[in-house]
Amino acid sequence: MKNKLLAGPYLLWMVVFTLIPLGIVVYYAFTDSMTGSFTLSNLAKIGIYLPIFFRSIGLAAIACMICLVIGYPVAYCIASVGETWRRFLSMLVMLPMCMSFLLRTLAWVALLEDTGILNHALSLLGIGPLPLVRNNGAVILGMVYNYLPYMITPLYTVILKIDPKLEEAAQDLGCSGAQVFRRVTLPLSIPGIVSGITMVFVPAVSTFYISQKLGGTGTVLIGDVIESQFKTAYNPNLGAALSLILMVMVLICVGVMNHFSSDDIGEEMMPL
Amino acid sequence: MAKELIRLQNVSMQFDGETVLDNISLTINDHEFLTLLGPSGCGKTTTLRIIGGFQTPTSGDVFFDGARINDVPPYRRKINTVFQKYALFPHLDVYDNIAFGLRVSKLPEPEVDRRVMEMLEIVSLRGFQNRKVTSLSGGQQQRVAIARALVNQPKVLLLDEPLGALDMRLRKDMQNELKRIQQALEITFIYVTHDQEEALAMSDTVVVMDKGCIQQIGSPVSIYNEPENAFVADFIGESNILDGIMRKDYEVEFFGHRYQCLDKGFAKNEPVDVVIRPEDIDIVPPGGGYLSATVTNVIFKGTFYDTFVDVGDFKWLIQTTDFHEIGDVIGISLDPDAIHVMKKSQYSEQFGDYSSYSAEYDEMEEDPEGEADEE
Repeated sequence: MKNKLLAGPYLLWMVVFTLIPLGIVVYYAFTDSMTGSFTLSNLAKIGIYLPIFFRSIGLAAIACMICLVIGYPVAYCIASVGETWRRFLSMLVMLPMCMSFLLRTLAWVALLEDTGILNHALSLLGIGPLPLVRNNGAVILGMVYNYLPYMITPLYTVILKIDPKLEEAAQDLGCSGAQVFRRVTLPLSIPGIVSGITMVFVPAVSTFYISQKLGGTGTVLIGDVIESQFKTAYNPNLGAALSLILMVMVLICVGVMNHFSSDDIGEEMMPL
Repeated sequence: MAKELIRLQNVSMQFDGETVLDNISLTINDHEFLTLLGPSGCGKTTTLRIIGGFQTPTSGDVFFDGARINDVPPYRRKINTVFQKYALFPHLDVYDNIAFGLRVSKLPEPEVDRRVMEMLEIVSLRGFQNRKVTSLSGGQQQRVAIARALVNQPKVLLLDEPLGALDMRLRKDMQNELKRIQQALEITFIYVTHDQEEALAMSDTVVVMDKGCIQQIGSPVSIYNEPENAFVADFIGESNILDGIMRKDYEVEFFGHRYQCLDKGFAKNEPVDVVIRPEDIDIVPPGGGYLSATVTNVIFKGTFYDTFVDVGDFKWLIQTTDFHEIGDVIGISLDPDAIHVMKKSQYSEQFGDYSSYSAEYDEMEEDPEGEADEE
């Protein structure tokens, strides 16, 4: 009973700042912007925005995969070094997050733009200017750079918990180093991979700032559209409807992934 | 029968400048059940890990079937291990755990199936193949671990305190089971334990270790009856260890009495340690030239009484089926074969007086817990 009371403030917070706003979003999504009466027309407009949805999901998915490919070896390395190094390395991973998200993204613009630092350096070599910014690649770069720590942290936590005896057991049963990884370490890190992907994918799919700064006209993401509905187009009802659809899509993606992991291992391996 | 399979030659192991194994040499024969026995931190697990290939000795050589294998990685050794806490793969079910090694070596699936099923039969786990390993009891997990190792038909099976986590009853059952499997499959077992009873009951050869050194190698009977020093005498079973003087061959003196014994080859008047097992002491009426003693404590142990007696300021333990009251004065009679004489060693004076018996007993009861995390 006492424990439940302790969760009280947070529950109150959740209700006031999450559940009620969510209700408002749902309400707006199903009402007309002019008359305020019930309508499905906001949701029906999804057809127009479908390509943007797909682009958002596609770019976020690519960013996720790149984060995983870069992040896994880093996480593995952090988990296998000694205590002192581990603290130092995980601090390094977290360090960029101490700086403002906006500032970090703007810094990339300064680095990549046609008159930016990189192109300036290249011009000294007689190359360029290369179109490094205002394209999909730059948006993906921005996502990877900003969200990589969210991939590394859960991965490293899970890898650290894998009993080294299991890897020894695999060796004992005939596995070379690569086989130990494929047959034991990798399958046992799936919970970390799933939560890493979730933590990168969800913010990446709904970002608008990264695409505004690093993207061009061809890289408008669904986050940008939603933002503009509230700030410039003054159609909060359409904005709410698009948010709702995005949320459902994200929930489906996350649900599918969690299903994959819990099938094989799930919570039953956790007591380990 | 006595064909050499594994040989450790002058093997030493250091961790961070600390010597864990100090120049040990050991030969293990084919089909042998050999037990490394010793207290926590004696180096027995390290020895096992060196044989398994998980550690490379700082100096010295390891031979397998005559070939030096110091640098052969674990996955290329014909040795499998049953790990202390089983180390079963939590992401695989019972069947896949057992099939693991066979699949790594790319055996055809029908062959895998045949051997896994056969193994499940041997360890009495038929019908469990699709269970999650995490849902099994300790004893069942133990069997899976054994099956997972044995299914690869290794020449040698290493077992690192495999029964340490099981309760008493299950331990006894598994001891018999392991011995049966070892004899049926004719595999060399190298078994690590701190439990002397387990070691005596199961082994062909017992290697008693302490402080990184081998203290004695021998059959269970010879280790029990002819311990080489006070450490072995104390570690294996109960012992009264007294200071004595070897007056001449077959005659030793302690507490001012001279006794006939079966030992010889000592210098005249050499100070020695004398071991007398508590069950070898005969209680007789006092007087008549016998050593006389006063009963100070009696503990009923079911099949016998632990009877503590004072002889001068030395406290003896006698195990007897006859009850004697506290305060009784009794005589102690010793047959020549109840007396075993040992050379003095670094362990002299450290063991064998039962004045602190109760404390020692607690330690022995608790030890298995502390032991589990050794090294």
